[in-house]
Amino acid sequence: MKDLKTFEEFLHSLSEITGLGFEIRDADGRLSSAFAPRHTTPEPEGILELTRKIIETSTFQHASLPGAGACFGVPIPGAEEVIGVLLAYRAETTGRACQQQVSAEQGPSRQEMERLLSRTAWLIEENNRCRQDADDITEVLSQSFEDLHLFARIATQIKTLRFSDSMLRSLIEEIMESMGVDLAFAKFMDRDDRDVMVMEESLAHAIIDGQGLVDALVACTPLDTSDVTRHYFILNHSEEDPKFGSLYPDPYRFLAVRIEHESEFYGWLGLFSLNMAAIFRQSELRLLTSMAEQVAAVLANTDLYLDLERSIVNMVKSLIHAIEAKDVYTRGHSERVSEYCMRMATLLKLDAHQMETLQWASVLHDIGKIGISEGILNKPGTLTQEEYTHIQDHSRQGFNILRPLEQLKDSLPAILHHHERYDGTGYPDGLKGEGIPLLARIIAVADAYDAMTSHRAYRPAKPPEEALEILEEVAGSQLDPYMVELFVEMIEQEPGNCVTGSQKRMTG
Amino acid sequence: MASNKTILVVDDEGPIRRIIELKLKNRGYNVITAKDGEEGLDLLRRQKPDAVVTDIMMPRLDGKSLCEHAEPLKQAGSFLTIVVTCRISPEERSWVARMTDTVLMEKPFSPSRLLECLEKYFEKDGS
Repeated sequence: MKDLKTFEEFLHSLSEITGLGFEIRDADGRLSSAFAPRHTTPEPEGILELTRKIIETSTFQHASLPGAGACFGVPIPGAEEVIGVLLAYRAETTGRACQQQVSAEQGPSRQEMERLLSRTAWLIEENNRCRQDADDITEVLSQSFEDLHLFARIATQIKTLRFSDSMLRSLIEEIMESMGVDLAFAKFMDRDDRDVMVMEESLAHAIIDGQGLVDALVACTPLDTSDVTRHYFILNHSEEDPKFGSLYPDPYRFLAVRIEHESEFYGWLGLFSLNMAAIFRQSELRLLTSMAEQVAAVLANTDLYLDLERSIVNMVKSLIHAIEAKDVYTRGHSERVSEYCMRMATLLKLDAHQMETLQWASVLHDIGKIGISEGILNKPGTLTQEEYTHIQDHSRQGFNILRPLEQLKDSLPAILHHHERYDGTGYPDGLKGEGIPLLARIIAVADAYDAMTSHRAYRPAKPPEEALEILEEVAGSQLDPYMVELFVEMIEQEPGNCVTGSQKRMTG
Repeated sequence: MASNKTILVVDDEGPIRRIIELKLKNRGYNVITAKDGEEGLDLLRRQKPDAVVTDIMMPRLDGKSLCEHAEPLKQAGSFLTIVVTCRISPEERSWVARMTDTVLMEKPFSPSRLLECLEKYFEKDGS
């Protein structure tokens, strides 16, 4: 019974007025008593029996007890059964016993006592119920706080639109910790490289192969895709199912939720717990379900993103095939330039985004030649001024062709400006020195070198050392001297390039 | 195990006080509650609790001032302060970090983490 202190004070006041003593008992003994003046009274003989009788019959009872005289009592009902009794009797104090006995008879009638005690018991009962309700509501509220807390933490984890292993791992760790389970996992059907499994330390000591356990659990989980409403699998006790029971020596609980997005099934998000005192709550299931939905949405997003990326790669490949079909000189040239550029990028320690941008730009730098007639492109002799102007137009044409592609927008400046000259006399804009985009300056060096070292109908390929010398000659006028220096060094250090430019320079 | 520990809960929101109180009582702690910083400070001085759980935004005396007033009291006998707040800004972090035995917990807070935090402190405290 809750909060008897409040009633003790109330009953004490009542005792002062009525001269009766009050007591609250349950089947095991006295819980609270109020006697005015305050003193502790010995238990009157027969009070246990009276208490038992009230609890059994669940009605008002009275009896004349030796040493206490008339004793009245009512049951205090609980939610389901009688949880105690409220008793009233005149407390015995030696010497005054006789006098009190007399006044008791002059005291309230049986009916009056029944009314008083019943109403008081009702108040106690009501108070109990309110207290219990308040505690229950508080408990529910507290649980909602746990869920909210978890949601708030998970929400920050899952903001990302692209899937990452670390995102998933911290999510699973968070789930395991917040839900107080021993193991949590995400298991994917056709991408086991994405699988994540985390265990409590105690469990990790007990089993060596956590992933093996997860795999076995998932293998036992029925994969009934026809039932749309059933997006989860729950096993409250492993002994319910011998298939599961044999997977782990101790009894456990298991909950798995489908990671699914628009009928695309990715895998399972699961919990494993050895704590059989607790159960998987509805709110936990809801929470886990929405996590699984989030994970699935992120995965679907990632798939879309990868699809898009793949389609761009394919489109770029088609573009390259198109230009190579038209211009025999470009065949293999784009790839080689791109290769040189990427090696330069590594030496320059460019970041991942710049690397990607440079890769696109270098592969596509000559794409504008699609717009130039084959007659000019493949002409073996010297070009007329007019033809040359046409050729020069290819960097701007490339820029225009690729401009609609959002994904390539960062690569566009490097394509537009790969024929600028360091001294400012290049095309199309006559940019100068550092004013030329860095990636364009890198491509310019690689482009020049590969053009010289490849075979042309009107001239044979130059040997590497000669090409490097020419690069050094035009460093500062046509090309960025720093990029040339870096490029020359890079080529000279290639295995098998024993005749190096610097040796030649030293001897010559 | 926790029966001899008294925790002071200071928050102007009744439901929050109730949650913390119930959770702590169920764990066997004695709990005293205050609905603002001033009441909290008074109880802190008179009853010398073993730990304080306080909100920041409160009428009369806010959680920060309560912590500042609590600092000299911590010289005499250390106790843990858990500051529960929904606005975790860097400046909030920095003043909490300057206080003795004071930790920050974000709202919506997790009652079970709050209990864990207290238990860990008392364990370390060795009492």
